[in-house]
Formats: sequence, structure tokens, C-alpha cells
Amino acid sequence: MDFFSNKPVPEKFRDRAQRELGDARAVFAIVGDMDLDGSYNESVMYFTQNAILAFDEKHPDSFRRTGFDEIETAFVKRMYGNALFRVRMKTGETADLLRFTFSAADIADVAALYVNSVIEHGFGEEPVETVYAAYMKQRSFCPKCGRKLPSPDAECINCGGKKKLLSKFAKYVYPERGRLIACIFLSVFTTAMSLVPPYTTKILVDDVIPGAANGADDALARLFAVLGALLGAYFLQYAVSAVRGYILRCAGDKIVINLKKDIYRKAQYLPLSFYDKTSTGSVINRVNSDTATLQAFILRITQEAVVKFFLMIGLAVIMFTMDWRLTLLSFVTIPLVALIGRTFGRRISPKYMRLWRKSSAISTLLADTIPGVRVVKAFTNENAASDKFSRYCDSWFAEDKKAAKTASVFPNVMTFLVSCGTVIIYAVGGGEIIRGNGALTLGMLVAFVNYAGMFYEPVNFFANLSDSYQNTLASAEKIMDILDAEPESDFGKGSAPAKIDGKIEFRNVNFSFDHSKKVLDNINLTIEPGDIVGIVGTTGSGKSTLINLIMRYYDDYDGEILIDGQNIKDIDMSFYRSQIGFVQQDPMMFRDTVFKNIAYGTPNAHVEQVINAAEIANANSFIEKLPDAYDTMLGERGVGLSGGERQRVSIARAVMKNPGILIFDEATAAVDSETENLIQTAIERLIRGRTTLMIAHRLSTLRKANKIVVVDKGRIVECGAPDELLKLKGKYYKLVQIQSMNDELISKKREENFE
Amino acid sequence: MPRYVDANQVRFTLRDRIFLDTEFFSGERYDALEARRLFPVSGGNKYIALLDENGNNVAVIRDLDAFPQEEKQKVLSALDEYYRMPRILRFIKMTEKYRIWMWTAETDKGVITFEIRNHLTAVKPLFDGRILIKDANDNRYEIPKFDNLDKKSKKMLFPKL
Repeated sequence: MDFFSNKPVPEKFRDRAQRELGDARAVFAIVGDMDLDGSYNESVMYFTQNAILAFDEKHPDSFRRTGFDEIETAFVKRMYGNALFRVRMKTGETADLLRFTFSAADIADVAALYVNSVIEHGFGEEPVETVYAAYMKQRSFCPKCGRKLPSPDAECINCGGKKKLLSKFAKYVYPERGRLIACIFLSVFTTAMSLVPPYTTKILVDDVIPGAANGADDALARLFAVLGALLGAYFLQYAVSAVRGYILRCAGDKIVINLKKDIYRKAQYLPLSFYDKTSTGSVINRVNSDTATLQAFILRITQEAVVKFFLMIGLAVIMFTMDWRLTLLSFVTIPLVALIGRTFGRRISPKYMRLWRKSSAISTLLADTIPGVRVVKAFTNENAASDKFSRYCDSWFAEDKKAAKTASVFPNVMTFLVSCGTVIIYAVGGGEIIRGNGALTLGMLVAFVNYAGMFYEPVNFFANLSDSYQNTLASAEKIMDILDAEPESDFGKGSAPAKIDGKIEFRNVNFSFDHSKKVLDNINLTIEPGDIVGIVGTTGSGKSTLINLIMRYYDDYDGEILIDGQNIKDIDMSFYRSQIGFVQQDPMMFRDTVFKNIAYGTPNAHVEQVINAAEIANANSFIEKLPDAYDTMLGERGVGLSGGERQRVSIARAVMKNPGILIFDEATAAVDSETENLIQTAIERLIRGRTTLMIAHRLSTLRKANKIVVVDKGRIVECGAPDELLKLKGKYYKLVQIQSMNDELISKKREENFE
Repeated sequence: MPRYVDANQVRFTLRDRIFLDTEFFSGERYDALEARRLFPVSGGNKYIALLDENGNNVAVIRDLDAFPQEEKQKVLSALDEYYRMPRILRFIKMTEKYRIWMWTAETDKGVITFEIRNHLTAVKPLFDGRILIKDANDNRYEIPKFDNLDKKSKKMLFPKL
């Protein structure tokens, strides 16, 4: 394999490195971004087949060579915002070779594995390949946009399709094009009708009313004829407008509904890491209010903008025909209006963004506290919760006041300028009529002022369009954040083996949620089909993370996980998960009937299937005693059932899937001994012939396990049959001892109490 | 309950820049303890845990500022080695392509360019006026006070707040 490095080797070290390497072959290098004192600087560490050559200005003579024969072990010490590549020497001292930010931490981890592997087994290609895989993963960026990809050959979701904001949203508008085009025609009609009243005013002022004053016989008849025409124009304008409003609303609703559906669908496929970083309140806010903002804007662009544009053209033509000089005069203020509009946009945009954040914080707080109202009440924290909500609302209000200042002042300044234009028309036109030296009549002036007033309306609209555009951009960005986010995996892609036997292998698996702490460290484990494996360890040791990786809740790990010899990333996600039954400590129940909660994930389940599953899970006995039995409607999160009952419903749900692999994560941790027995019997019925992984604090839960895996600080420290591990007198033995003592103490206390 | 220690109960020896050999005046001695701030964002020099090599809590320093200067300096030095949250002095450049931001900033530890994937989650203004930034690689940065930034930096950062 050719030499590789995570970044180009800094120029200043290249020549020196060549000299120091001599004939030795550099296998790979890690380029750091800090010096050993922790300031941002360049540094590099070369790995050969038998030594590490570290170049850093803080090393004496900017260089340190450390032979593998001097090293006892190499490791990466992750700290806060930085990490150290450290070696423990055979002399007992430790030495820091390189300091770097977390951007190089992952590849440094595997480099440490490389060093330790070469020390233990001698040089070989396999550890180099592990480093290379981590290096390739780091290089998994789209060459076009730089976005991080799940794998080097993955298609970039950003560049794959249409990526411009408007074209992305155009797909929601397109299906409604028929209705929208019809609305545009109707709008043009109503706009044309709206041009009639000023003209009738001119006729009334110039012809009809003066005719009556001059005693014309047909004056009244003409008056009624003109008023009839005016009434007809108004009627047509508003009747058509009502029809247009209805069609437009339907089209707008359809657009927003489709958008909401897509966001919700996408949200289902987003990886857990997205939800680790994004609050549920913020997601809810995006589905609800941001889509509404976007809908309003789409309608403004597709409807009003088009109509206003035609209105502007029509008015300009009429006004020029009536009096070109007055028309030009009335245009004087337009550049100023446009300029102010642009300034307004620039000022208001960051304010809207901040406002969105505040509003999102309120949604998040609501999403947190309303479902958790029981906890709030249990801790009589109603006042504190209300105070916190008030604080958030006040903070939003303070931000809104700032935005409101800008949003209120600017449009009124523009309207004032528009009014100035009207005053100019009156001044020039009125003067001309009073002097009587032009062709302008009083009726024409009144009509012209009306038309000019109408003309400023679209001007104002376009000037203010930037306001709603900025507001929409803020919302669109949040929506795109979901629509563009990397989904978990392409469902429907990958293979779907006929059957899963249940052999599970972990090969050199490393994982961290963020870069600050490694949660799983070089996990290697083989579980044979039909094995019943107990995973034990202290809280935070990495047991649940191990399960999360098997479930493919997180795919961003180093190394490989195989099922029946096949990498789980190559298996179709929906098929894969359908083969695993997962029972959690606090099972999630949905606001639905008991029947539907059991049949969740098994559409079209037969009634007897559900009853049988409940029977196996020891749930049927309590369900049939409920007044509405299987039709019992559960409250939010399963309110109405006890913890043990919820757990048994959850086991019944797993039975329905008939999975090849079963996983129990502390399934009996939160229940009393009697319920534990019921659940335990249910579990034992279920696991027969299936590969089963059980995380348990209570070791009594693992009585059927033929293999125990002890996890500590992200590493597997012991693995084997329970009896073997007991003989080892290691960590598992200690756990058993502690628990036996606990059990003894509990039974003694119980006896004392009974006495 | 953790064992809280005050200035008159303990003395330290700094080792390997990060470890504190800790001697309690009651006679107990612990080698190579590591100091961890229990409130790295909000706590200043209060409540600093001393952990052994297995991560077990040996003691908690209630208030480091109440310690003699020499002892305080040793602990601060160990903390400084562990915690790297450079203070951003000014922003030099913020560029965006396809909604991935590259921010270049001058910090008290030098100039750095880092990647921001989503400024809604990466930038967190605190109630005390500080702003915390976490980049795409989970490196952290701090702006002690927004108002103290220069005009250009403020203009660049304001829309992201």
C-alpha cells in the first residue's frame, strides 16, 4: 500500500523528514494542527514499520524518534477540545508525541492500534489496512461540495439532484400548476376589473355631473348607466375574487401538506445522531410554522407577484396614455422606495433569524415539559416551569420588539414616499387645471391620482417582497436542514438474505458519539447462532452502545459488524431491522389501543396472532382483565399500564416479528421481583432457538445465558461461559459477588422486617 | 457524597503537565490524579473533581480561588493542559458553500479555520453574554463577550446568533 496521510505533510517538515527517514519506509503519517503546547501550529508524525518519527517545534530540535522496541503501549488521550498521541515507554515514563484537535483524533486512534499491533505481532498489512480504512472514511467528502459522505463511494445527497432552493420547492408547486394558472387568469381578470372604477370616476366628474349641471335631459340616465357599469365591475371583481380565493387556498394547502408529509417522512429516516443534536421541539416547529411561512411565500411569488406585475404594466400604459409628464413625475420616488426596500431586507434578515431561534426555543421547552408534566407535578415544579416559560417568552418578545421596530418603520417610510408622489401630482396637475393652460381636466386628474395610488401598491409590494423573502429564507433553511440531512441509509437497497441464522461478529469496532470520548474501543466479538449472551458491566460502560450499533442506530463507526458473515451495512435496512426483536427498559407505547400497540410493526396482523403473542409474553392474563381488553385505549406513552405491563406488551410486540435475533436492554430493571418472574418466563419462551443478547444489571436475569461479555470503559474485558468467568475471578466474579451480597442483605432485611 | 476539599486540607505536585500527585494533610496520598471541571462552561474555578486513573472521584475542590497561589497554579496548569477552548478574538472570514460554513478566526491560541455544519446547533449564546461554538469535529471555542468583537466580526456573526 502506498504512503498516505490525513492532510498534506507541511512543507517545513518535508526535507527534514526525508533525511530522518533515510531508507526506512514511511507507511503513513498523521498531520496535526497543534503544537505540544496547545497552540495552533503544524506538526506531523510518521509511522514506519518499526518507529514513530514526530516533528513538532516543541520537541527538542523539533524532532523525536521513538522506536517500537522502546514502547510498551501507544494510546490517544482525548481531552477537552484536543487530544494527545501518547506512548508509555518500557522504562515506565510516558511521552507525548503529537497534540491535535479532534479533527485528527479518529485516525490517531487507529494509528495507536497499528503501533500496538506491530509491537505485539510484528509488522503486517492488516493493521495498515485498518488505518487506511479510517483514513478513507475521513476522506469521504463529496469532491463537488465538500459535504461529508457516509462512505467514499456514496452519492452526495446535496449534489445528486436539484440543489437550488427554489427548484427544490418547485416540485411541490408543480402538481398544483393547473389551479395556480387558473388563479392567475382569474387574478388578471379581477385586476382588469379594478382598473374600471377610476375611469368611471373620470367620466362622472368630466361628463355626467357637469352635464347635469348644464341641464342635459339624459343626465340622470347617463348617471345610472355609469353607476350600473361601476356596480357590475365591482360585482364581477369580488365574485371572481371569491372563486379565486377558494381555488388558491386549496392549492396552497395541498402544497404545504405535501411538504409536511415529506419532512415527516424524512424525519423518520434520519439517524439518531440527528436527534442527538436537534431538539424535537425544533423539528416540530419546522413541520408546523416553517412550512406555513413557506406556503405563504410560494403563493406570494406564484400569484401576487405575477398579478402585481401585470397590474403595474397595465397602470403604466393607462397613465402614460392619460398624461406622460405626470406619469414621469409620479415615478420620481420609485428609486428611493426600491433602495429603502433593499436596506430594509438587509436589516431585517438577521433579526428574523434570531426571532426564529427564540421561537424554536419556546417550542422545545413545550415539547419537553408538556409530555413530562407528571415529573413537573411530582416535584411541585409548576412555578419554576411557568417562570422558565415566561422567561423564554419575554426573551422572544424582546427580540420581536427589535424586529418590529425595523418592520414597522421601513414600510411606513415607503408609504410616506408614495404619498409624496401623490402630492407632487396634485401640485403639478392641480396647478395646470387652475391656470387652465393644458389639456388636463379635473376628472382626468382625479382618475390619474387614483391610478397613481394603485400604481404604488405593486411598487410597494415588490419593495417589501425582500422582507417576506428573508423571513422565508430563514424558514426554508430550517426545512432544508431536514430535507437535505443525510438519511440513515437507503432503505430498499442492499441485500435481503432469505434467512438470518444469527451469527454476529464485531471486528475492530471503535465508536464515539462526539470526538471528545471514545465509547467503544476496539471491540472484537463473535456470537454464534442460538447463543444466549449476557452483556454486563457498570453504567456507562458501553453496553447499550454495543446494542445501538447492532440495531444500526449509529452507522458512523470504525471497523465492521457482520451478521452471518455479511457486513450489516450491506444488508437492506428495513429487512435487517425486521429480523431483530428489541425490548427496551422503558418501552415506548403509542396513543392507541393495546391491540394496535402489540401489532405495531406488523400490519394486517391476525387477531389470534396478537392474542397468541400476548399469551407468550405473559400479557394476555392482564389484558383480558381490562374492561376494554384489547380495545383499551392507552394514554400518551402507555399511561394506564404499569411498568411491568408495558414491558410485557413490548415483549408481545417482539414476538409478533418472529425475529432471528433478540435483544433485551435491561428489560426487567424497572419492575418488582414478581413481575420480573413473569417477564423472565416470557423471555425464556421467546428466546428458544434464537440468538439472544441481554443487557442486565440483575445477573439473575442471565440464568439462561451460555456466554457472558463483560464491558468496561468501552472495552470487552472478559468474554466466555459463565462458569469459566467465575473461575477467572475477574470482573464478572466481582459483579456476582457484589450482587450475591446485596441479595443476601436484602433477604436478611426482609426476614428482619417479617420478624 | 464526594469528599470536598478546601485549601487547608491538601497539597499538590504537578507531574507530566497533567497529573496531580495529591497529598491530604490527614496522611492519605494519591498519585496521578486528573483534574476535571464539574462545570466547565459555567463554573469558573469552582467545583473541580480529582479523578484517579480509573475515573473514580477521589475528591472535589470546592473553590480553587481560595487556595494559596502556588497550589492554585499547579491545578490551573493541569486544567489548562486538559481543556482547550480557545477564545476567539476576531473573525477573519466566513465562507459558505452548499450550506457548509468554513470560519476562519483569530484566537488566543493562533489562527484556525474550522467547519460549521449547522450554525443553529453549533453556536450557543449564553445568558452571561458569552458565546460558545462547537465545530463539526466537536472542537470548542469561546467568545467571551460579543460586544467586545470588532465591527466586522460582529457583522459576520450576528446573523448566526
